[in-house]
Amino acid sequence: MIKRSFFALSKPRLTYDLLDTSLQSAQELAVPGSLTLLLPEEIDSAKKALIGPGDAVKKGQKLKLYDDSTPYVLSPVAGTIKEFDSYSDDFGSTGTYIVVKPDPSAQGDDQWAQADLEQTLEFAADYLGQIPGALPVSTLTNPNYDIRTIVVTGADADILCDTCQFVCTAYAGLMVAGAKILKAMTRADRMCITVPENLSAQVDLDGFNVLRTSDTYPSNLPAMVMKDHLGKTLSPGAIPEDEGVCFIRPEALVSLAQIYETGHPVFDKIITLIDKGGKKYRVKATIGTPISKIFSCFNVQINERDRIIIGGPMRGFATYTAHHPVVPDMDTIMVQDSDVVPELLDNACVNCGECVRICPANIPVNLLVRYLEANLYEEAADRFDLESCIECGLCGYVCRARIPLYQYIRLGKHELLTLRENA
Amino acid sequence: MTNTKLIVSHAPFWHNGDSLFQQNLNFFIALLPAALFGIFHFGAPALGVLALAASSAMLWEVIMSALSKKKMAIADMESAVIGLLFGMMVPATMPWWVVITGTFIAVVLGKFVFGGTGGNPFHPTLVGLAILTMSWPAFLDFDTAYVSYQFDFTALAPLVALKSQGTSALASFSNYDLLMGNEVGGIGSTFGLGIIIGGIYLILKGYARWEIVASFIAGILITATLFFVLHPDTYAPPLFHLLSGYTLIGAFFLAVENSSSPVNRIPMLIYGFLGGFMIILVRNIGVYPDGTILAILLINLVNPLIDIIRPKALGKGVSNA
Repeated sequence: MIKRSFFALSKPRLTYDLLDTSLQSAQELAVPGSLTLLLPEEIDSAKKALIGPGDAVKKGQKLKLYDDSTPYVLSPVAGTIKEFDSYSDDFGSTGTYIVVKPDPSAQGDDQWAQADLEQTLEFAADYLGQIPGALPVSTLTNPNYDIRTIVVTGADADILCDTCQFVCTAYAGLMVAGAKILKAMTRADRMCITVPENLSAQVDLDGFNVLRTSDTYPSNLPAMVMKDHLGKTLSPGAIPEDEGVCFIRPEALVSLAQIYETGHPVFDKIITLIDKGGKKYRVKATIGTPISKIFSCFNVQINERDRIIIGGPMRGFATYTAHHPVVPDMDTIMVQDSDVVPELLDNACVNCGECVRICPANIPVNLLVRYLEANLYEEAADRFDLESCIECGLCGYVCRARIPLYQYIRLGKHELLTLRENA
Repeated sequence: MTNTKLIVSHAPFWHNGDSLFQQNLNFFIALLPAALFGIFHFGAPALGVLALAASSAMLWEVIMSALSKKKMAIADMESAVIGLLFGMMVPATMPWWVVITGTFIAVVLGKFVFGGTGGNPFHPTLVGLAILTMSWPAFLDFDTAYVSYQFDFTALAPLVALKSQGTSALASFSNYDLLMGNEVGGIGSTFGLGIIIGGIYLILKGYARWEIVASFIAGILITATLFFVLHPDTYAPPLFHLLSGYTLIGAFFLAVENSSSPVNRIPMLIYGFLGGFMIILVRNIGVYPDGTILAILLINLVNPLIDIIRPKALGKGVSNA
């Protein structure tokens, strides 16, 4: 944890980590005895499910709950469905865990053998929604967006993370090939890639418009890349997609290239594990692997009251179970010892102004939080720039009163959307 | 499945380690040089007043927290700082009951009635002192407070002397004496050098905002210079104003109180400058010899009005169409 310096005249500066070059390759993790697939749809007992416990699944088989549902997962292995379980995330969005028991004797992936590997968005929407790296097919196929620019996040958005940098350098050839495929599929005419300005690794990025981003957090966040490099400042509440820009992980391009090269689906997700001491491990795990398997592989002990963070220290989320599965958009897993978990308090804002001075979006967080605490979300958005927040978390990092500011802001945005939807 | 209980909370998962306790502890440390000098200078009664002020302020906080069923935040030391500042601004001979009444007003009326930490629109210490100034001005009269003391310097409160005797009184106060604390005044507000050292320490630690301090001092110097240049016979020179009375403790410790001061840069500069400007107006034109308490209360009052001057948030007022 980075502490306040003795002299604190200037505002604190958090810097991104550069690629850890001591980790040349990712260690492959064997497929475990049971895989958990996370399907973002709730079980509805009134409807008849297409799949159920005991059903045999093939490798690459598309699993969805009901005839009319759009979310799906691809089974990474052949085997049988063992059970269903419900899942809900920190904002109460629900989903379903599908537990699959692999059967090593079963062979083949019929569905894929039959399907023509077309380089079209329709095919991608049907089969490639869950590839490692999470290709945002729903965004690309959304008729409301006119995606003309694709930005590959070669520079990781959160501090400490370097998975994207690793993928960019280790699989540069595949990434370039994947970018060509994606360009052919979509109407995008501009391919950009963010690269940390002081990254020394020499990579041939043919066809990419290279954007050199600064090493100061939060310059790699989409809103900042839009502002600093693409000359498009997002208006409050807007997302990059509204401006025709889509941000994509480099790993999605690598997976895309592998799929079209081999004709088979890929399920190996590259993940960086950061242990309690800050040491990094690079692992390649099958989607659906419980993250507890990764911990045991590297002898990372998880004790009571530790914290497991999926994503980086500024923007990630804490999971409540070590059995959370590897999902396509999981880049980093970080373990925090209970001793270093900072305390949050229910103090009132003391108006010290640390948050106001560090906010990259110039939001009056000191005033905003008073309205958010009082559930005045509309007013917070109208008068105190709630929607300008780029979600970097720096306000909560510096808060002297230890108020969970970023949480208030995210909750405020969430509630505001709910209010508007119901209006 | 094993069920290890994990801590679940929201991002960010790091914190820079700052806390209200750290802030108040640093204020306390920064106040020590001037306070220790006061004890050395005015003897045991000064120690008694400082100790009583700090401890009674903390006691009021405990009582009010219990009465209002709020979380006990005594360990944050905020009341200790309020009490210590109060003690540093009153004479060493102040009777015990006045000290306790003063800290009662400061902590209860200055802070708790507004909702406690962070809610106070004025500096609590100044609320206490302002009401004492109105109610029992005799106990805050530095000339009568120290009649039983033997000093080897002019035992006249510089600003009162200036008010009553005009610029002829200035001959008995050298800037060096004022800086080194050779004057009568509040226990901890006479030792200019100690206050400056403590104040610079606070600024470097990031707990006091340099914009406010610098513009406050600039406000005093510029306004006093204007008066002095126009009428050198009637008005005191700028450095005299800067080094006498509560000016320095006001600039470095009172004006920068978080809850009652602005957070944006331009408002901070206006706020500080206005404070310095008002002090000189009160001293040169008004009836009070020292205007610091009133001037800072006044800028506390305008703080919400000027703190709305702020930079545009990201994406506001730009159109990409």
